[in-house]
Amino acid sequence: MNLLEIHDLNVRYGGITALHKLSLTIKAGETVMVTGPNGAGKSTLLKTIAGLVKPQHGSVVFDGQLITGCAPETIAAAGFSMVPEGRQVFNSLTVLENLRVGTGMRRNKLAVAADLDYVMDVFPVLGERALSQAGMLSGGQQQMLVIGRGLMTAPRLLVIDEPSLGLAPLVTDQVYEALMRLRVERDLTLLIVEQSASRAVMTGGRMVMLREGRIVLEGDPRELTAHQMQQAYFGYEDEPATESTQ
Amino acid sequence: MNTFFQRHRLGTPLVLGLALLLITILSLTGSAGLQRTVTEMLIRMVMVVGLFIFVGHSGVMSFGHMAFVGIGAYGVAWTTMEPSMKLMMLPGLHKMLQQADLPWVVATVLGALLAAFVALLVGSVIMRLSGIAASIATFSLLAIFNVVYSNWDSVTGGASSIVGIPTSVESWQALAFAVVAIVLAHLHSISRYGLGLRSVREEPVAAQSCGINAWRQLLVAFVLSAFVCGLGGGLDAQFLGVVNPDAYYLSRTFTCLTMLVIGGSASLSGAVTGVVVLSALIELLVRFEAGVSIGAITIHLPTGSQEIVVGVVMVLMLIRRPAGLMRGRDWSWPTRSSPAKANLKAPLSN
Amino acid sequence: MTATLQYLFDALSLGSLYALGALGIALIFGVMRLVNFAHGDVMTFAIFILIAPTTEAVAPLWVGAWSTPLLVLTVLVAGAALSIVSEWLVFRHLRHATPATTMMASFALGFVLQNTLLVLHSSRPKAVNLWPTLSMPMNLWGARVPGLQMLMISITMLLLIGLAWMLKRSRVGLEMRVAAENFDMARMLGVKANRVILVAFGLSGTLAALIGLLMVSQTGLVDIRMGGPMMLVAFVATVIGGLGSLGGAVLGGFLIGAVSTALQAWLPLEARAFRDAFVYLAVIFLLLWRPDGLFVTSAVRQRV
Repeated sequence: MNLLEIHDLNVRYGGITALHKLSLTIKAGETVMVTGPNGAGKSTLLKTIAGLVKPQHGSVVFDGQLITGCAPETIAAAGFSMVPEGRQVFNSLTVLENLRVGTGMRRNKLAVAADLDYVMDVFPVLGERALSQAGMLSGGQQQMLVIGRGLMTAPRLLVIDEPSLGLAPLVTDQVYEALMRLRVERDLTLLIVEQSASRAVMTGGRMVMLREGRIVLEGDPRELTAHQMQQAYFGYEDEPATESTQ
Repeated sequence: MNTFFQRHRLGTPLVLGLALLLITILSLTGSAGLQRTVTEMLIRMVMVVGLFIFVGHSGVMSFGHMAFVGIGAYGVAWTTMEPSMKLMMLPGLHKMLQQADLPWVVATVLGALLAAFVALLVGSVIMRLSGIAASIATFSLLAIFNVVYSNWDSVTGGASSIVGIPTSVESWQALAFAVVAIVLAHLHSISRYGLGLRSVREEPVAAQSCGINAWRQLLVAFVLSAFVCGLGGGLDAQFLGVVNPDAYYLSRTFTCLTMLVIGGSASLSGAVTGVVVLSALIELLVRFEAGVSIGAITIHLPTGSQEIVVGVVMVLMLIRRPAGLMRGRDWSWPTRSSPAKANLKAPLSN
Repeated sequence: MTATLQYLFDALSLGSLYALGALGIALIFGVMRLVNFAHGDVMTFAIFILIAPTTEAVAPLWVGAWSTPLLVLTVLVAGAALSIVSEWLVFRHLRHATPATTMMASFALGFVLQNTLLVLHSSRPKAVNLWPTLSMPMNLWGARVPGLQMLMISITMLLLIGLAWMLKRSRVGLEMRVAAENFDMARMLGVKANRVILVAFGLSGTLAALIGLLMVSQTGLVDIRMGGPMMLVAFVATVIGGLGSLGGAVLGGFLIGAVSTALQAWLPLEARAFRDAFVYLAVIFLLLWRPDGLFVTSAVRQRV
């Protein structure tokens, strides 16, 4: 079934159009990697789905509900969780308090406790430093914290904006390992924005490439050639193929 | 076509000046009451334009500028009143001031210079603060002024009014100074100080990397705006013939800020337009408070409702159209070729 | 020794009032980055329900004639309600406006409130004699301290402790803290924006009404302008404490109370009237030293 349906989304910031009639469908259980150069509209797309930005035109349907123009907290309650760019931990709160922020809307306290244990299991460092101030953690630890925090809202769709930003490759590996584990164990649908196209290829799932507010390439990254991806990324897909650059 | 006229955007002060000239001439054909209203409006114009010089370019809301107006007003009182009256009413006045009896223009300028000097001292501290903290600090500036001038009985007459200031100011004098204020504001606006300050407001880090010192730009604008406000105060004193610390406190602050915001604080034309529009509105409301008969019915608003209406209008304006009536644009001289719109971005609408 | 003790209580009770005022300001600033210049007028409006609206010099008591618990409850609720209504009518529509705009809007709101009171009650101060027994002095270690001062200090202490507990331990407190730090992120985690802001405004209004009650008990007068001086100090206390820091605001309030009392004691007689000016001067010097206030929070820090 379709978990997320985006139809003809048009978003403008002042005089600049960030998204042009963008349409995208994500099925339940899928993993979708959104890539593309800077300014392609990736973050705008995520912010629009999350409810922080109101589109001028178009609709977003989540789990059968129309969520366009809804408040972010309503969208979160519907089962959508976003981990934004730059991590954005609550610096003045402890790790544990950070994790608890998203649990307010959940009724089942036992499930909340179970989820907390699970998060501590996937990310042991969070358990070790549960009472430390979140601002004191390292970049990688903070990334794990915000993913855990996003999980605590019991989402069906987890969206992560640039999980590898500012992190060493080794740390990024750990983060992605955890994400893949979550995907399976929690039956999560994942939407990951990742600038590194090679990381997108490694993770599998479906790749969607954005450029200048439009989708220029879509498909299984294992079936797309490097050449195709380069062309789309830099914007040469309209030009005739020159000598092979493979 | 890159003429001197266009490069310095002289169209704007020219249009504004001519409009005010027109209003003044028209008022002279009307009753004495109308002339007084227009003169008051022109004096307000000086104060609000002064306010614009700082608020419009920095985006920092200042609640303290009436202190400078007051300093200018009292300065004029000290230098133009008859010496014998001063001896009686203000015994603590320094001998030089007590004997001073200066021509009104000189007195006005001196009063404004005093205000500018105070602004220099105070501004060097306040301008280090962040925008919000600076605004709060300007509030305390106003409070200090009020406390000091209300209690320094021997020099300022305390909380009661000083009367007997020669009333040298009428429509033409007020108009002249309004034009001077507009010219000063315009010159600052197109100078490197005005532009520098605006760049600080829009992109502080980028401005810094261009070598622009935020604190200095703010200070220049603050001092100049205090000077112009001081001129307004001097005019006010010499129009009414009376000064009183409470006249330059919260009520006047609110009126002037409202005029600026309603017109649009980002442009000079906004300041001017705001003064004209709001003066007209207030005049209308005051007439209704006094009682207006339409046909057989007399509408009589309770006293104090004028302020309430203005306040409500202000709040509605801020919600619906925070950039004001002019939205940061300026009136300019109509040219035959396609005009380049003076596109000054509005700070209050970000 | 007794004189010093006397001054200590004076400073503490004055500081309590200022601290409560600063807290009301800081609560709203924390969640909304709004400096609420109408706060003092909300306080005054809530207090004026004690008397019936009339432009006569002597006003009959209205709520002021009710039994003490009912009176206190009504006034506090009035303050909270007025504050919440002001949010709903005005500030809700300015959630994404610049600080200059919101400051101006709150200034205008305050102006409207004050002038409404002017129309209803005239500008004359009216006498309201609330709890005369409170002005009876208690004997504490040799110092004669009015019961009201002790009440002020104890209420403030209890409130501060209670608020600190609420912020640290309760769900509402957690949500307020996260909303103050990163409002958008909090919303994306399901924190209801409107509820948090409502709580902040409600608390703020209640605090304002409380200060008003204490002030009226002390002075025996209600005056449409009584909000001004109190709130000005509250703003200044918030600034020197560091914008965005609740603890800093409280500390700032006590600091100004201490400086003010000290100046009252040590200034020569002729200079006493200028005491307030000296307090603000002292604040200016403090700001020269620490422009961002005593506690720098993320509210003011700029990220490149």
